[in-house]
Amino acid sequence: MYNVGYRIVNDAAEAQDVLQEAFISAFRNLKNYRGDSTFGAWLKKIVVNKAINQVTRRKPERLPTNERWDIGEEIAVDELEGYPFTVEKVKRAIELLPDGYRVVLSLYLMEGYDHREIAGILGITESTSKSQYNRSKKKLKELLEGGSL
Amino acid sequence: MKDSLKDFVDRNRDQFDSQEPTADIWSVIARSLPAGRRHLWNSVGVWRAAAAILLTLSGYLLATRNPGATTREMSHMQNDLTDLESYYRNQIAEKIGLIKDYDGAGENEQFTQDFQKLEAMYQVLSEEMKKHPNPKVKDALVLNLLVRIDLLNQQLKKLEDARKKHLPVPATTT
Repeated sequence: MYNVGYRIVNDAAEAQDVLQEAFISAFRNLKNYRGDSTFGAWLKKIVVNKAINQVTRRKPERLPTNERWDIGEEIAVDELEGYPFTVEKVKRAIELLPDGYRVVLSLYLMEGYDHREIAGILGITESTSKSQYNRSKKKLKELLEGGSL
Repeated sequence: MKDSLKDFVDRNRDQFDSQEPTADIWSVIARSLPAGRRHLWNSVGVWRAAAAILLTLSGYLLATRNPGATTREMSHMQNDLTDLESYYRNQIAEKIGLIKDYDGAGENEQFTQDFQKLEAMYQVLSEEMKKHPNPKVKDALVLNLLVRIDLLNQQLKKLEDARKKHLPVPATTT
């Protein structure tokens, strides 16, 4: 759970605050847990929401909104095909992404949410989530190929 | 559409969970729990927190620190767990029987809900144990049963205290 929050806020101290807030909120709202998802998935969603609130508090304009990002479906190309990935490089590159890119990319790649779920979490459309993910990958490619990692 | 980045992350997912919070985070969380309900939550809450972090870390621990649990060790761990589970489940059944013996014990909704959630969490941990047998998951499973016994003991004590209060005053004259 700590890693889930850390990837979204990108800061160790803030990730600890998020974890604390999320657990306290979970304990207070246990009666709302309906058992329609696993307890872990329910808890994870609370961590994700608290982490996104934290990023929004910091700089609201950094998260994607439909007005700024919904430019329709883009043709996605697998530009990173054949790239010699390593876990360390990918992790460092993700940490260097701007908030708006990192949040969508982490939710999709690491936390296993699909674009419909991400749209629900961030209050954006599914196509905004998809285009934001594709842009995040382009930015990540630049970082990976920039040679500074 | 092929997505090489996603394929790579999916193949190496466990290795991306390498950040760890400071050691005191769980005691900080336990102290921050809402006052008044703290007594009950102390046991359930801390257990849940421990179980959640165990679930998150178990893949990472297996991948990085404990790759070589042999089939024999796993089967030994599983047998050990089966024995413990049957021992504690008997105790739990016995205590539930005692609670039911109290006249008007009634249904305590909060208590029932906690029990159901502990059982749900037990199922999650059991699945994890099947997929990645690990001493820490086994400990969490045992702890889950112990927390239930603790809750039952608290409930029994409450009923016993209530019963004492309502006992007729012993007659002093005949």
